Amino acid sequence: MTTLGDKALLPAGLEDVLPPYAAQEAATVERLIACFSGHGYQRVKPPLLEFEETLLAGAGTTLTQQTFRLMDPVSQRMMGLRADMTPQVARIAATRLRHAARPLRLCYGGQILQVKGSQLRSERQFGQVGVELIGAGQEAADAEVVLLAAEALGAVGVAHLSIDLNLPPLVGSLAAGIGLDTENSAALLQALDRKDSAAVAQIAGDQASLFTALLRAAGPADAALAALGKLSLPKAAKADVERLRRVVGLIRDAAPELTLTVDPVEHRGFEYQTGISFIVFARGVRGELGRGGRYTTDLLGGGREFSTGFTLYMDTVQRALPEPERSPVLYIPAGSAPADRGRARRKQGWVTLAGLEGEADIKGAARRLGCSHVLIDDQVIELKD
Amino acid sequence: MSANQALVLAVPKGRILGELVPLLHRAGIRPEAAFADEDDRRLRFATDDPRIEIVRVRSFDVATFVAFGAAHLGVAGNDVIMEFDYPELYAPVDLGIGHCRLSVAEPAHLGAGDDPARWSHIRVATKYPAITRRHFAARGVQAECIKLSGAMELAPGLGLCQRIVDLVSSGATLTANDLVEVEVIAEVTSRLIVNRAALKTRPVEVSAWVDRFREAADAA
Repeated sequence: MTTLGDKALLPAGLEDVLPPYAAQEAATVERLIACFSGHGYQRVKPPLLEFEETLLAGAGTTLTQQTFRLMDPVSQRMMGLRADMTPQVARIAATRLRHAARPLRLCYGGQILQVKGSQLRSERQFGQVGVELIGAGQEAADAEVVLLAAEALGAVGVAHLSIDLNLPPLVGSLAAGIGLDTENSAALLQALDRKDSAAVAQIAGDQASLFTALLRAAGPADAALAALGKLSLPKAAKADVERLRRVVGLIRDAAPELTLTVDPVEHRGFEYQTGISFIVFARGVRGELGRGGRYTTDLLGGGREFSTGFTLYMDTVQRALPEPERSPVLYIPAGSAPADRGRARRKQGWVTLAGLEGEADIKGAARRLGCSHVLIDDQVIELKD
Repeated sequence: MSANQALVLAVPKGRILGELVPLLHRAGIRPEAAFADEDDRRLRFATDDPRIEIVRVRSFDVATFVAFGAAHLGVAGNDVIMEFDYPELYAPVDLGIGHCRLSVAEPAHLGAGDDPARWSHIRVATKYPAITRRHFAARGVQAECIKLSGAMELAPGLGLCQRIVDLVSSGATLTANDLVEVEVIAEVTSRLIVNRAALKTRPVEVSAWVDRFREAADAA
């Protein structure tokens, strides 16, 4: 064990986050949570591990292949390491907080671990920060979570946000409506997902024009809604489009500057969503910053609860942020301020770095340690480059 | 990547270029003269439209450049799109150029005494290991792929394996090497491909180009 490779190599998809990025990520998480808290979302903290059955129930079913498992030597039961925090928060709402007043607003932030990285996100471990708005079926709730995602990301400094609004169950129900068998239906959904109009035309046959029109409808929200309004859709789908139109109106009223697009065929990764959903992009940033949407939970004593929420992926959020600014650091040479070790300066907002032994070249020592200023005779002196 | 930079269109080098240039012209893109010169060593070319520039890369790399957002638009055969199966790629327009097919071929004498229903494992030389594995797995056969970058047709004759999966256009190369095409996996044409995040975050510009390529393809 002598080479650097032996000591430093980490498993694929795992990394050490170093200064200044580790601090930047932590600060960003705190600012996001502060924004959510400001809107009355209360923080919960689910555990890293849960029994497999509870972790992979409900919304968790889609995560079976992404979940690391280990045997609990105590209970002799199989446990899973969370691959997504959303189902955990939904579980908390449906069990321990089942008697809490609705609508219930919860937020969370934590690390998750997935078995495989994706094409755009090679990380297997990353941070998730999000909210759930539980027991709220209103259009105002749909608008609230979209606006909250935009506000929070804006507050941490993400520029050029673009929110793509979707109706994930739409294409599935349309495909079922034209009587395709399971295999062709899956092929059609795959082709729609890739916006492959040639394949869509081939699979959907004489019904292709509807799906092709849906593909072409995607784009800026107003134009897309106008195009969708002209299509002859089944009654239920029409109602979904109308609801989306009203939600877009609510979002526009509150945040007229926000870039909104509508893509009626987007459905991948929304297998559990039952209504208006959305994906957050930022111009020039690879991948999704976050996604969310409406879902339904079955309650213990029967009945159902309508909820919505979103989760942000911290690795991508961080890629969308400007480089962290280097804050000025004040070097306090050994022996120069023995009484308070710079406490007065820290109160003024300085970051101080204390020398541990007397140096002949104080400025040189300060520079070597990355300080921007030095305290000499109780005077703050800037170090020129 | 700055927010308002010109869009980048990635196109494949090689035989498709002859069919592609007229299509680009119909879509309103006139690359600088050096682009048509196969000997020019540059890889990045301006066009008469400052909002779009062109990069010339290997056909397999077009999909990768676009999937990762290094290029916003691209031209790639559906063989390449199927091989990588990148979820971040959209393929909205069939450009109707570069027609050929992706097929399984084997030595002419092999078919007679062979019952494919009994296979559990076969060995195949191909540039397309993912498509090949998926294709045979769907019928319960494990395909061991030997990845080659060219001259697949040599492999059966020299005993590397018995079957190949490769692009076939006229079939002349197969015939010349005593091979017969036994099965078509997919018909291949070139598609306009688009990066998903680019379409979502620059919807007006990117959809306008998609529409122009669609009209250019329909006009042919």
